[in-house]
Amino acid sequence: METKTPVFELNYDIREWKELKYYAELKRSMNYLAAHPATYFMGQSITTRQGNAMRSTLVDIPKEKILEMPVMEDAQLGMSTGMALSGFIPISIYRCWNFFVLATNQLVNHLDKLKEMSRGEYQPKVIMRVGVGSERPLYQGAQHSGDFTDGYRLLLTNTEVIRLDEPDQIFPSYEKALNRTDGKSTLMIEWLDYYAEK
Amino acid sequence: MITTLTAKDLMLFEEEIADLFRAAKIPAVVHLHSDPSAAEHMIEVFDTIRPQDWVLGTWRHHWQCLLKGVPAEEVKAACVDRHSISLCFSKYRVLASAIVGGIAPIGVGIAKSAALRGSDEVVHCWFGDMSAETGSAHESIKYAENFDLPIIFHVEDNNSSVSTDTRATWGSKTLTYEKEKHPKVEYSYYTMEKYPHAGLWERVKF
Repeated sequence: METKTPVFELNYDIREWKELKYYAELKRSMNYLAAHPATYFMGQSITTRQGNAMRSTLVDIPKEKILEMPVMEDAQLGMSTGMALSGFIPISIYRCWNFFVLATNQLVNHLDKLKEMSRGEYQPKVIMRVGVGSERPLYQGAQHSGDFTDGYRLLLTNTEVIRLDEPDQIFPSYEKALNRTDGKSTLMIEWLDYYAEK
Repeated sequence: MITTLTAKDLMLFEEEIADLFRAAKIPAVVHLHSDPSAAEHMIEVFDTIRPQDWVLGTWRHHWQCLLKGVPAEEVKAACVDRHSISLCFSKYRVLASAIVGGIAPIGVGIAKSAALRGSDEVVHCWFGDMSAETGSAHESIKYAENFDLPIIFHVEDNNSSVSTDTRATWGSKTLTYEKEKHPKVEYSYYTMEKYPHAGLWERVKF
């Protein structure tokens, strides 16, 4: 029986291979966050075998610092806020903007408002990681590939929104998010396409 | 028990806030309790609540603040400062939200934190009958019960969301947590007669 030799077609020129710094910086940042005793990672498909791309940035982090969540986006951010009110710095992970939109109530009405609601007494600090769904090589569809960064900047007053366009931004931004003392939370936007491109 | 306040004390406090509102000294919405049996019930609930515990609630939260130990003058000052709708006192571990169902997952997060820290803190989270029917409350109660987190949800049922009939709009004679036994839910009923959902029955000019 004749066997066919498998043919692999690369969609890039191997001679243009380069280090994927975007991903490396994310992984370095996550390891840095994990070294802080108060941090705690939570999200969907972040511990599973076939998890989302963000999962791959968490592989070095101790299992006891990661919580796999059911799909309840808004409640996840509410829980993150509650944990931040009582001693933790949660890193709340959402694989794409379109899913994170479902957490807008907790973001806009609680996390972003608690400082004002409590006359400055409560200032929970949450770090949110949100992905812009990838388009290459596979388009994720209209409901998985949105980028609403500019719109959310208009909605929020006590949450800094940082879109990570370049690798060099990544570590300083996460370092700032962890160590900030201005009572603000940080919403980090990651381009999932850049995990394999930059 | 943190305080020795009586139901009469709680009722009188609401009357004092009503008088301040009537006199246009509180230029913001207030939500007042007026059912003495609800006051008696809340005092019973607070029998087991300790200073290290958390008390979360909604826009109608004056009594919980007082029973948690926040001095009446501080609660009153916060009301005059236009914060009756979301009373927060970090020193007393008191937090309230004016978003229907929004406080529930925050309570679950505090309870999860307590469990992770090995603390004996318990979260007591109040909300109303319409809040208890929201997806947020259902998710929160399910999560807390399945993981046996240290939280009790106190549902206060007046069959009303502002003025919307909860049972009629959900098409059910009974609501979810009154017909099923849930280990993390404590269910009670109260009436609203003396005051409307917000403010007073009379017009106040500010």
